[in-house]
Amino acid sequence: MNEFVIGYYAFLIGASCLAAYYKQRTVFLLLFSLTLASFVVGIVGGEPALWTITVAAAALALAGGTAYAFREFLVIIAPMETAKALRTAPLTASFGMFVIFTYAIMGIFAPVIAPFGEAEIITEAFAPADDTLLLGADQLGRDMFSRIVYGARNTVGLALVATTLAFTMGALAGLFAATKGGWFDQILGRFADVIMSIPSLIFALLLLSIFGTNLFVLVIIIAVIYAPRVYRLARAVAGNVVVMDYVEAARLRGEGTWYLIRREILPNSSAPLIAEFGLEFCFVFLLVAGLSFLGLGIQPPTADWGSMVRENATLISFGELTPLIPAGAIALLTVAVNFVVDWMLYRSSGLRE
Amino acid sequence: MRDIGGMVLKRLGLGLITLLVISVLIFGAVELLPGDIAEAVLGMGATEENVAAMRRQLGLDQPAVLRYFQWLGGAVVGDFGTSLISQAPVGEVIGGRFANTLFLACYAAAIAVPLAIVLGIIVALLRNSVFDRVANVLTLTSISSPEFFLGYVLILYLAVKVDYFPAIARLSEDMSFLERLDRTFLPALTMVLVVTAHMMRMTRAAIINLLASPYIEMARLKGVPPWLVIVRHALPNAWAPIINVVALNLAYLITGVVLVEVVFVYPGIGQLLVDAVTKRDFPVVQACCLIFAATFILLNLAADVGAILTNPRLRHPK
Repeated sequence: MNEFVIGYYAFLIGASCLAAYYKQRTVFLLLFSLTLASFVVGIVGGEPALWTITVAAAALALAGGTAYAFREFLVIIAPMETAKALRTAPLTASFGMFVIFTYAIMGIFAPVIAPFGEAEIITEAFAPADDTLLLGADQLGRDMFSRIVYGARNTVGLALVATTLAFTMGALAGLFAATKGGWFDQILGRFADVIMSIPSLIFALLLLSIFGTNLFVLVIIIAVIYAPRVYRLARAVAGNVVVMDYVEAARLRGEGTWYLIRREILPNSSAPLIAEFGLEFCFVFLLVAGLSFLGLGIQPPTADWGSMVRENATLISFGELTPLIPAGAIALLTVAVNFVVDWMLYRSSGLRE
Repeated sequence: MRDIGGMVLKRLGLGLITLLVISVLIFGAVELLPGDIAEAVLGMGATEENVAAMRRQLGLDQPAVLRYFQWLGGAVVGDFGTSLISQAPVGEVIGGRFANTLFLACYAAAIAVPLAIVLGIIVALLRNSVFDRVANVLTLTSISSPEFFLGYVLILYLAVKVDYFPAIARLSEDMSFLERLDRTFLPALTMVLVVTAHMMRMTRAAIINLLASPYIEMARLKGVPPWLVIVRHALPNAWAPIINVVALNLAYLITGVVLVEVVFVYPGIGQLLVDAVTKRDFPVVQACCLIFAATFILLNLAADVGAILTNPRLRHPK
């Protein structure tokens, strides 16, 4: 027993008592179950385990604080209607928005932020971190930090382009199929069924082996694989709108298909479609990262998070954390987008009831 | 009963047709190759005679339809032609590796399925509590992480920093079953993390959906104890969605296995597929893709058939 352990338990128990006194049920439950869990973990893992818990809790608190501040900031600068919705957003959602915002800044201003070029070899391989090399060097002696910053632009950019293409194709086809119906609808539906019955990674690998790996081909392949998923949803959502009276009225007025889609159906099915865009982005992003990790995505020397993990994987057997940073960056962005989408889906389902 | 039989048969027939269409797609995709296989393999510098000889050797001088049926006929009995790189029969190369992949997938499933269902039901019962929200954040994080991230984190903390498990899952013939379980623990755990999270979320959604139905409310109102509501009223109707969830996630396992095998250098079919894609060894790629797609379709089929068979409304027709 030293000061740290005593202070640790004193803090937890004191905070639990305070929470219980002020009738904060949720906080109390959380704090007290953490105390109980700490007993077990502390006995098994000793002091280092308790340190890990402290660090994790501090990181969580920091993230929570950032999320809270960012939400307040958004509420102040946003126009009335949006501000009202934002005020009720859970902290996870505003944390997600904060992360997305950070990544966007990192991607857009990559050349300004990164101290070195993405393909610039500046020192020997696996040089350790110091003042100029924030995260050390990679397997060829390039600056790890600069490559991660550029990776935000390349990896996220590619995923964004592919998702937009898949989404545009799928959503347009879905809306058209719902409005037109008939054989057009049938053929597209069966086509989507077939593509969706092959696992996406496997299908991507098959097509990549045939067409070779270049960026253009990669974007097209991903768009073809993911468009049917968007199509399904767009078709289902629009199918519910098409039967409404006002669409019938517009039809009787003699409006064309394109007008119907643009002015009557799209505005009434945008909420689930936007959420779907977020979800698709996550899938596409993970697929791009996976393919790059397998050496079949973005080709060197372009900086890319997936291939950076693979190239530096040997460092892990020496207990180094560095190769995990790009992988963590992928995970963090996907989590962030998922948090925001989760909130949007909850909102759109709550509003409909 | 005739109704159920008919529905199952119809679903099986549909599955078979899908499988056929996919085999056409996998075979036809290679035909889309600019030029043909012989030109792609031999490269730009090949002479006319070399290309012609290779075409004859691969049977490319025959029409595509004929070759498709020969390929399909072979595939049904496990003969997928010969590898372009090693010249070994593809069926033999794949056989042992497919068994390894199945072993890994079953290992992961054996841990993940019971864990996920129990946790999913608990979380559904405690919905909107702190634990539910914590579980929601944790599962979302686990789903969003790429498999290789989870894999390397596990290697770093369970194999490098503290030496509990081997980091590389090499297998050899003379290993005992327990030794195999120990060697493949980390790859299995990686997949368990991802699949459990998926399955938990889906189980939770299915159960919550069910608990909102009027007859559950009725049972509660007439004073049935909560656990009995679950066991007698909710569970019999929950089997269909749960079976669906399990089968869908096992299908997901099949795809996730590719990345995990590469991370842990596991001698499975996923690693073989990636190698074959890099070397453009088309017969191997086709065979692996067909096997993956067939497994995927079979599991989805199992999900549908299971859902039909366990649906009480269909079992007791009015």
